[in-house]
Amino acid sequence: MDGKVIVVTSGKGGVGKTTISASLGAALAMQGKRVAVVDMDIGLRNLDVVMGLENRIVFNIVDIIKGKCKIKQAAIKDRRIDNLYLIPASQSDDKDTIKPENMIWLTNKLRKEFDVTLLDCPAGIEQGFKNSIAAADEAVVVCTPEVSAVRDADRIIGLLYAQSITPKLIVNRIVPKMVESGDMLSHEDVVEVLSIDLIGLIEMDDRVVVATNTGTPLILQEDSKAGMAMQRIALRLDGHPDLPIENPMIQKSFWKKLGSKFSRKN
Amino acid sequence: MKFNTLLKKLMNKGDSKDIAKKRLKFALLTDKLEIKTDTLGNLQKDLVEVISRYFEIDKESIKIDIQRSEESSALIFNTPIIAAHRQRGIPAA
Repeated sequence: MDGKVIVVTSGKGGVGKTTISASLGAALAMQGKRVAVVDMDIGLRNLDVVMGLENRIVFNIVDIIKGKCKIKQAAIKDRRIDNLYLIPASQSDDKDTIKPENMIWLTNKLRKEFDVTLLDCPAGIEQGFKNSIAAADEAVVVCTPEVSAVRDADRIIGLLYAQSITPKLIVNRIVPKMVESGDMLSHEDVVEVLSIDLIGLIEMDDRVVVATNTGTPLILQEDSKAGMAMQRIALRLDGHPDLPIENPMIQKSFWKKLGSKFSRKN
Repeated sequence: MKFNTLLKKLMNKGDSKDIAKKRLKFALLTDKLEIKTDTLGNLQKDLVEVISRYFEIDKESIKIDIQRSEESSALIFNTPIIAAHRQRGIPAA
């Protein structure tokens, strides 16, 4: 059976697409799937450094499409996680080098080799985005609980619907303390505004910075809440759609819980 | 944190997330009412084509516009009619 192609997109930059692509790829591979994660950001590649595979790049996606190499030559195998491969972007080419039809051709080949192909979409709605969604079966839209990110997510969701793709939403970088004090949009607020199904909630987690610093997969860090959330999202993406979504909450001590109950009566 | 909440209540300040939500909803609404620059031109061309089947109109004095208010927006199309075509009523000779 052919594998599926999932695009990770957001519209706004810096909301966590690349980290999420890398982590979901790693989690799916650890669940036994053969996974390719593709960096779609031609000219500004970064997935390679997030995955810690930057010094093993020989060929890239543009080389595959131009026929300079085979997919197997360009796909970098992760040595820490079995069945996880990265197809890096080109750093020197123009972003208009690839066309949607090239991506459809490439992903059709990838479907034969991999159970899941994740496309790490660049920010914006230009060529890189068009290339990414032209080839995708499913989409995950990432946003943070901010006005700008939610607005861009709304635009992206509209463009995905126009391609007959019904996306699922990840709300990233939730700070439970701020949500509770009313200084951050809650995921309920975001879902209400966007009216779209959730696939996961990810808490703000310092571990992400550490994982990115060192290029180690976030999900291999056992104490990372974000990593655990990603693993659960990976399960939902692949065969367990009904796995309950955990709401990030403040770890409270007994006395604080008592205190908050008391203050709520006022 | 609790102290901050209390302080906020005492100072009679609302939650900033409510402001965020309100601004967001408004932004999304106005975003959706925005129309591509060439959309109105294309629409006018198509409308002229259709209306010309039934009426003789002055193609130069057509006005097409979108009127927005806070609650809704309306498409306003205004054209003087010069004459009605009769071909629909005439039986084939």
